[in-house]
Amino acid sequence: MNLRTILKLIASTAALHLAASGPALAQDGPITIGVQAPTTGSEATYGKDILNAIGLAADEINAKGGLLGGRQITLISGDTACDPQQSVNAASRLASQEVVGVVGGYCSGATQPTLKIYGDANIPFVIVAANSTQLIPANPGNAFMINSTGADQAKTAVDFFAGKGIDKLAIVNQGDAYSQDLANLTRDAWKAAGHEVSAFEYVNKGEQDFSALVNKIRGSGAQAVFWTAYYADGGLLIRQLRQRGFQGTIAVGDGSNSPKLFDIAGQAAEGVYAFSNPTADFLPAAKQFISDYQAKFDTAPGPYAPLAYDGMQLMAWAIDKAGSTDADAIIKALGSADGKEWLAGPISFTPQHTLARSNFVVLEGQGGKWTRYQP
Amino acid sequence: MTWYDSLLQQLADGLVLGSFYALVALGYTMVFGVIKLLNFAHGDLYMTGAFAGFGGLSLVSGVLGAGWLGIFVAMLLAMLAVGCLGVVIERIAYHPMLAAPRLSILITALAVSLVLQNAALSLTGGQYTAFRTDLGFGGLSLGNLFISYNQIVLVATAAVLMIALELFVSKTLYGRAMRAVAIDKDMCRMLGINVSAVIAITFFIGSGLAAAAGTMAGAYYGSIWYFMGFLIGLKAFTAAVIGGIGSITGAMLGGLILGLLESFGTHIPFIGSEWKDVFTFAILILVLVFKPTGLLGKSEVERM
Amino acid sequence: MANPTPEAPQERPRGNPAQRLYAAFDSPGRRRALHLVLLAILIVTPWLSSQYVTVILTNALLYVVLCLGLNVVVGYAGLLDLGYAAFFAVGAYTIGILTQQFGFNFWAAIPFALLAAALAGVIIGGPTLRLRSDYLAIVTLGFGEIVRFTARNLEITGGASGLSHIPEPSLFGWYIDSSIDFYYVFAVLAVLAYIASQRLFDSRLGRAWLYVRHDEDAAEAMGINRVAVKLAAYVIGAIFGAVGGIFFSVNLGAISPESFSFQQSVLILMAVVLGGMGKIPGVILGAFIVVLGPELLREFDTLRLLIFAVLLLLIMLFRPSGIWPEKRS
Repeated sequence: MNLRTILKLIASTAALHLAASGPALAQDGPITIGVQAPTTGSEATYGKDILNAIGLAADEINAKGGLLGGRQITLISGDTACDPQQSVNAASRLASQEVVGVVGGYCSGATQPTLKIYGDANIPFVIVAANSTQLIPANPGNAFMINSTGADQAKTAVDFFAGKGIDKLAIVNQGDAYSQDLANLTRDAWKAAGHEVSAFEYVNKGEQDFSALVNKIRGSGAQAVFWTAYYADGGLLIRQLRQRGFQGTIAVGDGSNSPKLFDIAGQAAEGVYAFSNPTADFLPAAKQFISDYQAKFDTAPGPYAPLAYDGMQLMAWAIDKAGSTDADAIIKALGSADGKEWLAGPISFTPQHTLARSNFVVLEGQGGKWTRYQP
Repeated sequence: MTWYDSLLQQLADGLVLGSFYALVALGYTMVFGVIKLLNFAHGDLYMTGAFAGFGGLSLVSGVLGAGWLGIFVAMLLAMLAVGCLGVVIERIAYHPMLAAPRLSILITALAVSLVLQNAALSLTGGQYTAFRTDLGFGGLSLGNLFISYNQIVLVATAAVLMIALELFVSKTLYGRAMRAVAIDKDMCRMLGINVSAVIAITFFIGSGLAAAAGTMAGAYYGSIWYFMGFLIGLKAFTAAVIGGIGSITGAMLGGLILGLLESFGTHIPFIGSEWKDVFTFAILILVLVFKPTGLLGKSEVERM
Repeated sequence: MANPTPEAPQERPRGNPAQRLYAAFDSPGRRRALHLVLLAILIVTPWLSSQYVTVILTNALLYVVLCLGLNVVVGYAGLLDLGYAAFFAVGAYTIGILTQQFGFNFWAAIPFALLAAALAGVIIGGPTLRLRSDYLAIVTLGFGEIVRFTARNLEITGGASGLSHIPEPSLFGWYIDSSIDFYYVFAVLAVLAYIASQRLFDSRLGRAWLYVRHDEDAAEAMGINRVAVKLAAYVIGAIFGAVGGIFFSVNLGAISPESFSFQQSVLILMAVVLGGMGKIPGVILGAFIVVLGPELLREFDTLRLLIFAVLLLLIMLFRPSGIWPEKRS
């Protein structure tokens, strides 16, 4: 990006904001949707990915003639920086700007305090990534989680490792809510199934050297390693495991199922398994999504891009179904989501507004991309 | 693996990690020596160095390839570029602040750090960049001990850079001027030493070393991103303080000790690796409680 | 502050308009009127503005409490602290654990939170008193990180997810739960912190800090107990931080380790130095700048922190001692 594009970006975001702060309630004006994601700070990589995917979805909807008979979607970004205070500020600002709905939510810790704000303002909220079980009781009824919770994935992982005849498993997480939760759930389920967790380890985000950890894993006699966090550090861990001659099975959670894992881990990612929604390369729509995303943002979509894209599409679907921008009607429409196939699989909700399915599949890295694993 | 092999392996790995810390810690300590500033932007210069090295490598890899030769040339380019950036930062942000309260200049350094980090975030779109090289995975196996060739080259390069710095500081005219400025700026000025030039050279060298570490880390680990300087900045700061801030040998020692502490910290029996950093910081605090100026720091009577 | 260079810049000429403005506010005669006007603004603002403005002002008032607390340590006693978020965390987590896991009433839990923070102040202050300021920086940073990692690792603190469903406090049957309620809670806290800071500044202890800051040896020769005085600064600073944390936890209803990172400590320190160390109105101004600055720049999204950082840099370059520096010498 050069200076000119930055300036253009400033001008266009400013213009967008001016446009958005106009009479948003008008019957035929644009429909404003808030995007809650960390676009600054250490999590900006994932936040921008979510913002990009939502932007792509909004552009497609607008190109097809918008919603409710020709009304265009405008987005307002609410940067949370993955910090609870900042996200409360962002959510209050979105609420004050009278957005019709909010799509996003990445860090569970930063998403939780915003639930009350959207609840009080009666704004429909589609949560695309955050999936801590702590969000469920805090939901005042207007929020819908389209990412499966950790328990489903832990079950898939346990079945997979057991099916491979593995007994000693090493689990590594990154000390954030998502990966710690998945690691704890997997550990408990693995032990309950009568197996041994030979190493249960933490790494810090941004730590590049995992050699001591790799030695510890090898020394523990682990037959398999399960990385529960994101692709960037996961790629480094996989590289270092293989460089040091770890021969066992390596599997990663859905935070690492991005094609970018192959960029970072290179050759070492061959034969690595990932637990994932049946996304990416399997549905025709997803192929189109990947190439559109690549063309528009000059990078491959990250782990939450398909869900973020679906979140925006789902919100648009609900607004159209509600036939108006009335919050109660949209919330009712969202609740009635009927299991239609989206990019990342079918969406319907439990009475607690969590995703009513667990269709994790196992992928295998082959030839620099993910393929469906056939046991 | 026997405990003995394991110990040797930890030692070797700790040494590699420690070399990175030491190279970055040197910049902290040198800058502190001449202008008494904890340069919190230093970790971000490491990050900038990694990106400069990445750019350098894509320039030269067509001719030199992306093996160690290409990486060395890229590293030199990055050192030059980031060294100049360090001098520019000193001129713009720190030089006007030299007479201001110490904490003000510290806050200025934090602001510079934010500027570098967020500029990199905007320019890269927050993406992780894969740093592709032609480096192999090969290495020496001595029984259960494994040391890769890359690790050997890394440690050797770091050692050469550190020895060169030590020679520069102890033997050359500029090096002596640097030490003199660290002791008494006003006296140096009276004696006709160009203090500004000495400060500029110090920043150039310190930033250059951070860039060298950044480029090597990028090539060795294989990916770089805008926030990569934060953690290592903190660690290098810790290393510099353990060794005794202001002491060049201390920074090298502190870096190596920290690398070893972290390497062994992962293996403390009975408590998990989640306590590794607590362990490291606790050791740091203990060191300072018993040796308040760090391992090799000079104890000086502080006068306000 | 350990400081070989002159403490404050040369007094600017009286003709400088900014300086004259400050002087007008500094004169004791007009201070009372100004206080009343500010208090009135503080009271009516939420009724005139949107919920968003109320929320960010609440946040700014929280920072006023935290910054005035850190100002006791840094500005008054001259001790550099890079881990102030630790005290903030101790207050928040004590309340979270006691109310949510042990069924304590919120008000009954407060004394325990304050006690825990004071204890933390002694623990952090104890080993650091012999250290020079630069070493103090890393030790406090280390303590801050130890507190954060401990919160992340333990079960009782909820691990990385933190604690949620911290019950809303009630006062004589009135539940403090809306954003305006919390605005007033933090407004009262900020006013209390302001009065306490002013009293401390004028007290014997305040003068003792001044002497210790300027010349430790001379202060000791004059019979000031250096150790006790420094420890007092840590403990008082810790209590301010804990008060912020106590009400922060019930305001959000959920706390997690992200809120107590090194960056949080840095931001608080930045506000104190930017505004003017040791100068109460300056510190308050600094708190408002670091909270409202990034909010006002929200239109620029990803670039907002870059722009904010450049502005910070410019402020520091043009006003090296802070926007509203302390003049007492």
